[in-house]
Amino acid sequence: MGNEERQMQFADVNDDVVRSLTETGRSYYIALATAIFVMLACFFFPWFYQLYYGIGAAGMNHPTVWGTYLASFVFWIGLSHSGTLLSCVLHITNSEWRKAMYRSAEAMTLFSLMVAATMVMVHVGRPWFIHWALPYPNQMELWPNFRSPLMFDVMAITTYVTGSLIFIYMGSIPDFAAVRDRTTGWRHHLYVLLSLGWRGTDTEWHRLGWAYTFLAVLIIPLAVSVHSIVSWDFAMSLVPGLHQTIFAPYFVVGAIYSGTAGIVTVMYVLRKYMNFEHFITKLHFDNLGKLLLVLSLIWTYINILELFTGWFSGTSTEYEQLKYKLFGFYAPLYWEMILFCAVAPLLLISKKFRTSFVPMLILSIAINIGMYTERFLIIGATLSRQYLPNAWRVYVPSLVEISILVGSLATFITLFLLFVKIFPSVSIYEVKETMETPKSKKGDTEWQAAH
Amino acid sequence: MNIMERFISSWQKYRKPGYYEDFDYAWTMSIDLDRCTGCSACVTACQAENNIPIVGEKELAKGREMHWIRIERYWEGEYPNAKLKFIPMLCQQCDAAPCETVCPVSATYHNQDGLNTQVYNRCIGTRSCAVYCPYEVRYFNYNSHHWDSPLDQQLNPDVSVREKGVMEKCTFCIQRVRQAKDHAKDDGRRRVQEGDIQPACVQTCPSEALVFGDRKDSNSKVAKSLADPRAYHVLDELNTLPSVVYLKKVDSDG
Amino acid sequence: MGAGGGFMLAESIKHPVEHLIPYAVPPEEFSSGIATWYNSICGMCPAGCGISVRTREGRAKKIEGNPSHPVNQGRLCALGQAGLQVLYNPDRLTAPMLQSGERGSGEFVQTTWNEGLSEVASRLSASTNNDGIYFVSEGVRGHLANLFELFMNELGSANLLHYDFAHPHSLYAANNHLFGERQLPYYDIRNSRYLLSFGADYLNDWLSPVHHGLGFGHSRQGNGDARGRFVQIEPRMSISGASADEWIPATPGSEGILALGIAQQILAGGNYQGTDADDWNAALATYSAAYVEDKTGVPADTVARIASEFSHAEPGLAIGGGAAGNHTNGVDTLVAVNALNYLVGNIGKPGGVVFNPDPVVGSSTAGRQANFAAMQDLAENARQGAIEVLIINNTNPLFTLPPGAGLKEALASIPLVVSLSSFMDETTAMADIILPSHTYLESWGDDMPQPGVGFSVGAVSQPVVSPLYNTRATGDIILGLAGKMGLGEAMGWDSMEDYIKDGWRNVYERSSPDAGGFDSFWREVLTSGAWGENTRNSNSVVIDKQVIDNIAVAEAEFSGNPDEYPFVLHPYLSTTLYDGRGANLPWMQELPDPMTSIVYGSWVELNPQTANEMGIQDGDLLRITSEHGSIEVPAVTFPAIMPDVVAMPIGQGHEEFGRYARNRGSNPIQILAPNMDAVSGSLATSATRVSLAQTGRRAAPVKTGGESRQLGRNIVQSTGADGDSAGHSAKLNSIPIVVDPA
Repeated sequence: MGNEERQMQFADVNDDVVRSLTETGRSYYIALATAIFVMLACFFFPWFYQLYYGIGAAGMNHPTVWGTYLASFVFWIGLSHSGTLLSCVLHITNSEWRKAMYRSAEAMTLFSLMVAATMVMVHVGRPWFIHWALPYPNQMELWPNFRSPLMFDVMAITTYVTGSLIFIYMGSIPDFAAVRDRTTGWRHHLYVLLSLGWRGTDTEWHRLGWAYTFLAVLIIPLAVSVHSIVSWDFAMSLVPGLHQTIFAPYFVVGAIYSGTAGIVTVMYVLRKYMNFEHFITKLHFDNLGKLLLVLSLIWTYINILELFTGWFSGTSTEYEQLKYKLFGFYAPLYWEMILFCAVAPLLLISKKFRTSFVPMLILSIAINIGMYTERFLIIGATLSRQYLPNAWRVYVPSLVEISILVGSLATFITLFLLFVKIFPSVSIYEVKETMETPKSKKGDTEWQAAH
Repeated sequence: MNIMERFISSWQKYRKPGYYEDFDYAWTMSIDLDRCTGCSACVTACQAENNIPIVGEKELAKGREMHWIRIERYWEGEYPNAKLKFIPMLCQQCDAAPCETVCPVSATYHNQDGLNTQVYNRCIGTRSCAVYCPYEVRYFNYNSHHWDSPLDQQLNPDVSVREKGVMEKCTFCIQRVRQAKDHAKDDGRRRVQEGDIQPACVQTCPSEALVFGDRKDSNSKVAKSLADPRAYHVLDELNTLPSVVYLKKVDSDG
Repeated sequence: MGAGGGFMLAESIKHPVEHLIPYAVPPEEFSSGIATWYNSICGMCPAGCGISVRTREGRAKKIEGNPSHPVNQGRLCALGQAGLQVLYNPDRLTAPMLQSGERGSGEFVQTTWNEGLSEVASRLSASTNNDGIYFVSEGVRGHLANLFELFMNELGSANLLHYDFAHPHSLYAANNHLFGERQLPYYDIRNSRYLLSFGADYLNDWLSPVHHGLGFGHSRQGNGDARGRFVQIEPRMSISGASADEWIPATPGSEGILALGIAQQILAGGNYQGTDADDWNAALATYSAAYVEDKTGVPADTVARIASEFSHAEPGLAIGGGAAGNHTNGVDTLVAVNALNYLVGNIGKPGGVVFNPDPVVGSSTAGRQANFAAMQDLAENARQGAIEVLIINNTNPLFTLPPGAGLKEALASIPLVVSLSSFMDETTAMADIILPSHTYLESWGDDMPQPGVGFSVGAVSQPVVSPLYNTRATGDIILGLAGKMGLGEAMGWDSMEDYIKDGWRNVYERSSPDAGGFDSFWREVLTSGAWGENTRNSNSVVIDKQVIDNIAVAEAEFSGNPDEYPFVLHPYLSTTLYDGRGANLPWMQELPDPMTSIVYGSWVELNPQTANEMGIQDGDLLRITSEHGSIEVPAVTFPAIMPDVVAMPIGQGHEEFGRYARNRGSNPIQILAPNMDAVSGSLATSATRVSLAQTGRRAAPVKTGGESRQLGRNIVQSTGADGDSAGHSAKLNSIPIVVDPA
């Protein structure tokens, strides 16, 4: 509810953001409580049940030994590419419209990565030994197996988490400082610590800009490599349908695609519930929509390529994979995926669609559902039909798995809800860069003096 | 040797082609499909020898088979010319095993006898080895297993009982191999002779379809099987260099 | 001296299963960490393979075949391996019990051996009519059979029956009829070049499957370049059929006609040079190729071709059994099969039919084998009140007899039923007094396997572990009863072990006694696990002209008319459960059936086209109805079965018999018609016609196998007949063979 008559002042940005931090309505607490409850009931409780009974609580079997846990893992890693894209790529291309959103997007990245890490722990058969996958000197004189794509995963994701954390933190320092100056009590003390004594001098700004760009450039190849490496978990196997070179670009494109759709969802929520209407506008949705369209087209192309490869190969195994995906047990999921990720996004051609908020929200959720289905199919459907026909078996996720999936979403939401109340979720200084320099008004000397 | 030297010598040892020629032994199994009758005695013998759990009907309905060796059956043709062919499928102990490279904690590795071993204590249960195995011969313990007393009296003390979350597979009865090597050492003989050790499945096969031995011994039966014109590997095109060789069934249509 | 250790263990500890290392001062051969092997005899089926059992710290760990035993030569089948689960089964009967409620209520109270034995002994002594005492045992041989004979003799009763479901009565009758032989001959599959099997599932359950497996393997690939050919004639492909080079479906019950048709072709081709050729020609005149084609559905040129191949093979061997021997014309069919052997002159030759000598140990039990007619008579006698005491030993007629025999109802008229079984099966659940016996791994025994291997072979079964529970060896129970009844004169042995040892002194005498004395002989028999002697039977055969003249095979009769009951039911012995005895063994329940990969259940196999026409899909629950009952079983399509035949494995459908067996699947024997072979009186298990109906419900069986077609992936590869590779090159992908220097 901005004042149309009065032009937006720089101070208004600070006010709005600080208000978003300090003023909390009932609906927030309800949302947070619900999210925490769902997280405990649907994620932790079933997980502990699974720890007790074994992975048998899930629906995996022989030979479909991977299931929704790994699909969720890949999905969350994919979602994490949202921040990278918006923060880094668009920063380097000097896109103005990203500035209001990128903080939340980076937060999404971080939290997606955290949730993905928990999915790994849920997936593994003996998670109490998962630290053995980390290279640390030990009495057993054993190092992990560095040839393994899963180890590449560990390395890449750890680097990515570390990089993203530094990146988001560093970019937020001026904002912490701004908020520090306007808050009291425990918040003030917290932000004093977090802002590291930022004073806003020219040198500091210069260094920040330089470091920020440096990290932005570094994180881009990191993000590409992370998801390529995740794809190699599958592509380095001999499983027909997984053993394809297209997987690395496929996953990276898919990640950016689902990440961008995730941003649209989050932006809608932030805009509506955090009163950020003047920060997040139709322009942003328009641009995100265009981005989604491009990614959708690339994604569709890659899928067609996969179909073509399967048919062209002429081998029984590859052809069977193709046939099975299209017409087999999981066929409804496959066509749902095509509908949501290839067909529906064509609506984005229309600018009217791109600039309507609720349709964009629905489409972005549909895209993410479709992308999750894609990950699920890659794991469940291909493992069902490998080389030896006698070992073919169908996999159906169990209640525990579905619950944990829902729970992981709740975990993500919980983390995000906590985030918006502690971190400034809109980048104050960058938004100010997008605004016109407000003219000082007659009689505003006191104002000028005060600032 | 210091760490660097050890690293370099290991590297050289394992990266040159034909490195497996330097193995102590090269245990090989040959399976004659013309002799195999599908009787499944090997399956039960393996179950008895290796403490393989009884998963129960409910788990089997979910598809969680637990047999280290399984008999695959393939129909060909239609009535009245239908034919049924059996093929026992077990861990092929590949010399270029896809499962060994992918385990993040090195719970599966190639030992000096040419066997692909599984270290239950190290396994954290990522199950990527099972995904990577093209023969689908790796079995995961989805639950902890229980033997109704006193069935647990039968458990073989030479083989560990695996807990939930751990991957297992055929080991060519490595406990018997170890024992045979120990006996050979005690006897003053330096090498294990042909016939000293037979895995449980080989020992029980009524039609002698399974034969086991050291292919480095040119007089062994398996060496002769390898030279047989009927010899082939399953999924040969994947170049996993399996240590199990199959002898083609002789099709003699009347 | 492993034998002694077993008994020392028995005395020194109360609960052997509870201690990891039970002794402070262990017996000699009991070393922690070192295995002790005991030789014994497998008791899982009548084949009598020799086993070596590995024990650690007094517990049985693994059963292997005994390499020294001529029957199985170190090999063992799946059921044999599962013997450990018989020993350690959680549902074993652990002590003598008395029925405390109504018979069949399942209420029992434990009692002591003294009380149990005394009670039975007093009831036996009190019986007014000696012939009112019936003893029905599983088929046993060796000294245990002798002991039963002795005991029943002392009691003055002639009613000793050995009852096994799968006993090949018709085969015995056919051999007796044509060759005058009371023993089953040895069928030398190993040296045969052409095996023509009429329904005999020789690799699965017929006579001695492990020995046949050895023979099969050798005939296939152990004989240099010569490769044996195997032809299987049956309406549903069995395991042996799957391994055969040719599977020929013939109309059920017409196998004998086919055999005679082949015989006629042999004669017509001038391939038989015997002096009685004219008699044969006359007898077989009706069995022309056209006639045979009409009756069996097998094309005339196939008949001619097989006849030619069979007669020119050197040697060819014909065997029969399974469904073919279990029709109303079973004996005639098997006589026809025997005739084939005679006509190609393989009697007494390697690769042919070799007659077995009489058993050296144990009397021949041929006369005691109870066929279906005998069991029906038993039930009738019971109903008449003629039976006062019925003693059952490890056999389960309430499960393996069709209800048409009327045994269950007849039991109500028997005042005392005593069971010596080790498990609470359906029959034992109806007992008044249970005196449970040891399992075979805890017992002394001996055996001369039947059929033998052409010469005298014997073995001694010894306990491999000390008894787990308060049970006793069957022989000891009988001796105990004899003691209580004051039959000490004739049956004065202290234990079964003594009795057997005593009996084996005779064997010792015959095998040129040496300076070592009986004890060293005995030790040798136990440590090697087998004894043999080159005693052979004469193999000269003269067939009576009258027998030849009367050779004929009538068409089989079925219960139910083809309009109402369009399918012939083909029940077969399951690979994993045999006749139901494997159903309480979890390993056997979990072992996938080789042909269908189904576990833990029953199923009925249908021809795919039939299924298609009737709109039946895999997993549909069908109602199978005969004139004598109906059962519900899930359907499975099976490519190698005749369109109007449905097949079902025997073994499931137990109502008792422990947690793994109970209330699982269905028992096809329940709906079998009480038709018999007219000559042998054995149950014609394949003579029941049935109808199928959808119940509308689904009960998909649990399968471990997925898709059962290779889809061109060359997983199981085959060559052409002459052994050179077709298709994939045989060149291997770089497997080096390093030649060991020197």
